[in-house]
Amino acid sequence: MTKWQSTLLAVWLAAVFVAAAPQSTTSSTSWWSPGQGTPLPEFATYDNEQGQLGVLNTSGQLDTKGHPFFEPIGTNGRACITCHQPSDAMSLSVRSIRERWTATGGKDPLFAAVDGMNCPNLPSDDPRSHSQLLERGLFRVALPWPPQRPDGTPIDPEFTIDVVRDPGGCNTDPRYGLNSATPTISVYRRPRPVANTKYTTHQNFGVGPFIGKNGMPASVDPETGKPTSMNLMSDARAPTLAIQADDAAKNHLQIAGKLSGAQVARITEFERQVYIAQVARRDAGSLVEPDGPPAFGPRNLAADDAGVLGNNTTRYVFPLGGKWAHLPRTADETANVRNASRESIARGHDVFMFRTFWIKDSMHLNSVGLGNPVKRTCATCHGMHMTGMDTANGWMDIGTTNLPWATEVPLNPWTEAKPQMPLFRVTCKPGVRPHPFLGRIIYTQDPGRALISGLCNDVGTIVMEQFRGLAARAPYFSNGSAATLRELVDFYDRRYNIGYSDQEKQDLVNFLGAL
Amino acid sequence: MNARQMIRGDVLWLAGWLASGAAVCFGAEGPRKNFVSCPIVRDTASVPCWLSEYDGELYYLTIQSDVTSPVTPPWLGHRVLVEGTVSAEPRICGGIVLKPVHLSVMPEPDASCNTMLPAEERYNLTFEPPRPPGPSKGRLAFDNAAPPRPAPAALPPTKEFVVPYDFDALVGFNHARVLTDMLEFARAVNAQEIEVVGYRGAARLSNGQVMAEEADMGKRRAEQLAVLLQGANLKSPSYKVSWRDESAKATGVDDYAMRRAVVTIRASAAAR
Repeated sequence: MTKWQSTLLAVWLAAVFVAAAPQSTTSSTSWWSPGQGTPLPEFATYDNEQGQLGVLNTSGQLDTKGHPFFEPIGTNGRACITCHQPSDAMSLSVRSIRERWTATGGKDPLFAAVDGMNCPNLPSDDPRSHSQLLERGLFRVALPWPPQRPDGTPIDPEFTIDVVRDPGGCNTDPRYGLNSATPTISVYRRPRPVANTKYTTHQNFGVGPFIGKNGMPASVDPETGKPTSMNLMSDARAPTLAIQADDAAKNHLQIAGKLSGAQVARITEFERQVYIAQVARRDAGSLVEPDGPPAFGPRNLAADDAGVLGNNTTRYVFPLGGKWAHLPRTADETANVRNASRESIARGHDVFMFRTFWIKDSMHLNSVGLGNPVKRTCATCHGMHMTGMDTANGWMDIGTTNLPWATEVPLNPWTEAKPQMPLFRVTCKPGVRPHPFLGRIIYTQDPGRALISGLCNDVGTIVMEQFRGLAARAPYFSNGSAATLRELVDFYDRRYNIGYSDQEKQDLVNFLGAL
Repeated sequence: MNARQMIRGDVLWLAGWLASGAAVCFGAEGPRKNFVSCPIVRDTASVPCWLSEYDGELYYLTIQSDVTSPVTPPWLGHRVLVEGTVSAEPRICGGIVLKPVHLSVMPEPDASCNTMLPAEERYNLTFEPPRPPGPSKGRLAFDNAAPPRPAPAALPPTKEFVVPYDFDALVGFNHARVLTDMLEFARAVNAQEIEVVGYRGAARLSNGQVMAEEADMGKRRAEQLAVLLQGANLKSPSYKVSWRDESAKATGVDDYAMRRAVVTIRASAAAR
């Protein structure tokens, strides 16, 4: 590519991002900058394209001045709040990322070289250096190879790994790559919501000293010695909020030294009391009316029980309480539109809960005693009451990162599109059982949990995420491969050959967008 | 010994041999059927049922339920080792019922095992399955089958745990419970010694073939259990790890029971 072409592409990329931004092209007023010092109210609402998100602080209004979650305590100007924005369900939408690029010319600490670029060795002012972040909302996660135990000792992995494709250049870079002095694998992942954490860290149903999916020892909380659900991060590498805070401070904030005990305590205290969920939806109106379905809104989340299996007709995953299934039509057209939308949400719930399909070749689902295939519903895997996570240790391979199911750019002579994601070839070593559904050689964009456990069967497994605040934090899946909720539903439809009708898809989208 | 005695002795031996042979072939309840074949899944109006063909006959293995089921369904994409007894029950989903039955998913993938049959009215279940194909009614399918035992007044100083395995398999999803039991007992008695013996077994199939597990399976089982218990922070007891090969003992009757490890946990002297 010539310099002229390169410049043209950069201008075009910038134009695309501006065009993709919301109507108000200036910086979003809801953006929370590190150290801005304004209080976070007991309850705040933030508009999004599908309605409105609610953020609840059960401890009351929070003074953020001097608070380590909100202050730029690292060396790169970021704070935890940078990537966990209240308006974005305590995660970060690609929309907000693009707005920040436009508003700051790419100078926001959000775009720090360490992980806000495809690789730190790229030119920082070129949007193409940040394409993973700008196009899919992905941050670089650099993990040591071979994997290491919590004490830093290396694990002998069951597989070898080769870089097949490296569009960001980091995995083959002599300084940052797999063959560097400190062998590292770079994968690109979405930030998860830091909210509703009593659910993501529960120690209730399905959590024990040995993982119910493979019999391996579960990670324990070093402070209590108790096993954890390991459902906090996409690869389960940090078992507790405190360890995650340390990990993030080191790797994303580039803190000098280490978080103090007091800082960790304040950060985790905040994270334990903040709840997010959608509170209103265009057309459907308020989701949190006093007599409304008990599934919706952050107050219901804060009040309900964590770590409860909801894949049943007693607790339900998302309890609607029998509401909204059939609503009256009147001469009031506005009310009719609202009621029709609410009925669609209720139908979407029923699709989620009761629409069976064949779930096939999904590691840690089909391999845990249900058979392959198993005729079940969405709620089988997404079974935790109120969040739709797994109650047990929840990493699973549904094909979002493993080929042949992962979304790939179609290569042909008529397109200039290039693959975005890296591609790795994983080869299970001789003497190790082949992966039961993918065989001995696996191609993957992100080996997921396997980069921590070193197990062949974990290749491409990702800890499933809570279903809350989805409308505020597109794109979806750990690799941002679904730009919209419709694309998310379409992925499942393709992956499992479900054959949803258009109506079912729309109802599911409306339901998911209400959570 | 005269000729009459010799004949009588031969008759007795023959009778004994036939009896043992009958036990091999028929067991106490019905004929044994041990074979390796592709599983077949047949949809029904409710949960799917799992079948397999052997020697021109269709056998019913199990139905889909949940993770508490004592017989978990096999996998398409893999062959399955079936070790079962022909039951007198009426056919289910068109298949002769094997009950009890032990199923082992064979580790190597086999793409030829891909038969999914559509539901047919005549094969719909004639009973309510323990778990519907979607959400449960609020309880796991088989949790009520084994009510929790009352805790003993005093823990014994030594306890033996038998860990069963599928054919050629190591620890999997179904071992979390027994491992937890071991861990809790070891902690409760402040275990001083943990002895692990891993066994390699075999399966005598109905066609006479003996299918032995991988040569080092007993060793791998024993070593893995020790590593897992240590990984669960059970590091202070001493570990004695050994393994035995019982693959020559396969008779075709309950061969699955050979595929095991035995973990003996001994309390510290102070706790005895």
